[in-house]
Amino acid sequence: MMLSGTRGRVTEATVGLLVSIAAIVIAFAIGALILVISGHHPLAAYQALIDRVSHLTGFSEVIVRAIPLALAASAVLLAVRAGIWNIGIDGQVLVGALACGVMAGKVAGHVPAPLLWIVSAGAAVIVAAAWAGIAGVLRARFGMNEIITTIMLNYVALSLTSWLVKGPLRDPTLVSPQTPLIPRPDRLPTWGTTRVHLGLVVALLIVIGLSVLFRRARFGLELRVIGENPRAARHAMLPVNRLIVLVMLISGALAGLAGANDILSTKGTFQSEWNPQYGFAAFALVFLAQRKPLGIVPAALVLGFLAYGADILPRVANVAPDFFDLLEGLILASLAVVGVAQMRWQRRSAATAPTPAQPAAPSVRETVV
Amino acid sequence: MSIEALLTALLASTIISSVALTIASLGEAIGESAGLLNLGIEGMMLISGFVGFWAALESNNLWLGFLASIVCGAVAGLIFGGLVVLAQADQVIVGLAMTLAGGGLSGYLFREAYGSNQPLLQGDLGRPLRHLGGGIPVIGPAIIGQKWIVFVTWALVPLVWWLLRRTRFGLEIRAAGERPFAADVAGVDVTRVRLLAAVINGAFSGLAGAALALAELGFFRPGITVGTGFIAIAIAMVGRWDPLRIAIAALLFGLLRSAGTWMQITGVNIRPEFLQMLPYLGVIVAIVILARGTRLPAALGLSYRRGIDRT
Repeated sequence: MMLSGTRGRVTEATVGLLVSIAAIVIAFAIGALILVISGHHPLAAYQALIDRVSHLTGFSEVIVRAIPLALAASAVLLAVRAGIWNIGIDGQVLVGALACGVMAGKVAGHVPAPLLWIVSAGAAVIVAAAWAGIAGVLRARFGMNEIITTIMLNYVALSLTSWLVKGPLRDPTLVSPQTPLIPRPDRLPTWGTTRVHLGLVVALLIVIGLSVLFRRARFGLELRVIGENPRAARHAMLPVNRLIVLVMLISGALAGLAGANDILSTKGTFQSEWNPQYGFAAFALVFLAQRKPLGIVPAALVLGFLAYGADILPRVANVAPDFFDLLEGLILASLAVVGVAQMRWQRRSAATAPTPAQPAAPSVRETVV
Repeated sequence: MSIEALLTALLASTIISSVALTIASLGEAIGESAGLLNLGIEGMMLISGFVGFWAALESNNLWLGFLASIVCGAVAGLIFGGLVVLAQADQVIVGLAMTLAGGGLSGYLFREAYGSNQPLLQGDLGRPLRHLGGGIPVIGPAIIGQKWIVFVTWALVPLVWWLLRRTRFGLEIRAAGERPFAADVAGVDVTRVRLLAAVINGAFSGLAGAALALAELGFFRPGITVGTGFIAIAIAMVGRWDPLRIAIAALLFGLLRSAGTWMQITGVNIRPEFLQMLPYLGVIVAIVILARGTRLPAALGLSYRRGIDRT
């Protein structure tokens, strides 16, 4: 019994890995086709990208881009596991980043650097959690579908942060609308000559933490029940509404951390009109990771690779950065399609312990409007 | 500027700026009524907008541009339908994927075709009723003198209502969205109905993209929809899948959006970024108020496999 259980888990992981690799291959193949049709040499373009990445500088730049994506993906993953579609990552990143920039500007020069990181990342976490909490409360209190509210809150956040940094929170000593620039010594320390920074350790710790949460903790189990069978969760007297709000709070906090990461490392300031749009990439990342916390690490490298490609390919191969949005979309679509066959396979292989037919999108069903 | 001129400007910009949103929302309402939650409208609008713009520019014929947009949107809708109805992939994921892929592809193709140039369409299809409103203040220039796409949009409102409420196909759509199992038992081909609804939804997204790029603005640029496709999903829900309510909700949204620019012209001292938040907050408030006593189509977001009742 135990043996077969272990084997089942191993095969499931292998199949998941194969599915993810297949999705990447399909996406790159379709991408290559589009490059050929539009008169590019896909192999040359992909080769140029791989050449860059096989050097330490290039690879470290992939990691730099993977860090905030991994944090944003953690936010998405936690919610997705609980059957909640937090499409508001972008907005939560923005309000978190602004809070971080403002707080860092206030305490810079008065406190040692590590304290500055903790205080300003803390501000980002609290503000972003509260922002996401709005959608959580609206869902729990009024049954409002979080897909709609989180998308609307993205646009509100974009205008709100832009307004705050141009108006009320403007630093009059600076020419452009932005929060005070954090001096280099006060930012997260980098590793060697690269731009890879302490945020990497934070991201890894969070991924490991999520893994432990879903494997060991009661809370993780409760989230899975809500996500997979909300009716059963209510029957089991789980405080579903409280858990939904809690999930949104933590999810928002993680997204806020992604924003703080950028401010405290590579950017050093929050500028108006800055919008990294990690949300969609984070969704592609989570499904590439097969919704497994530890899968976030390799998947973040893939998405970091794409983000790096979008930054350098316009120069080295004259391919517009939008091409990489297309690739992300193709990966996500492939995963969605192949995922259906994968789920049927899993159900059949788990036939000894039958799972009830699960609604594809329980969260949509549970809400009004 | 006189009060009359200001009112005319506000009304005219409200109407024209809500056209693409109205069309996209009507299309989404048809899809959602059939149980399809399409988060890919934004991407569909972008790729159709680009294709229509490119066709119109190359052929120097705006009508051809519109046709190309609608066909492109219908094909995108067919892809969405194929993936979620036939392959039964998750609607939310496929929708997000289509938004990413459509946005990415349109941006890539635009830069391939025009680099950093910004070509503009010459002329437009005119204002068919302009001469009728000659002497009437405000309403004459702001409503009667509108571009023809405005009247097409307004004609679509009763048309969609008739389709959903008065035809057998509309009944089948709603049955497929509420109780696909029961509809199947009653002899409705749920797969066919949902596929068709997806194609219509896509064609509306295509027309919406064309309305924006070819009629309202006269140019295309990557990311030009700035979220209209997502707002359409919210507007369809605020309007509770009723075409007239949707049209009114879209107009109110357009009014809130235009009001910002309008207040600036009149010299009210508020930063534009602050005013830009208002329409989105308005949608959230509207849904909070409307949420009581309404519910989503019961099978929204669920794929249907013959013989399995999941609602």
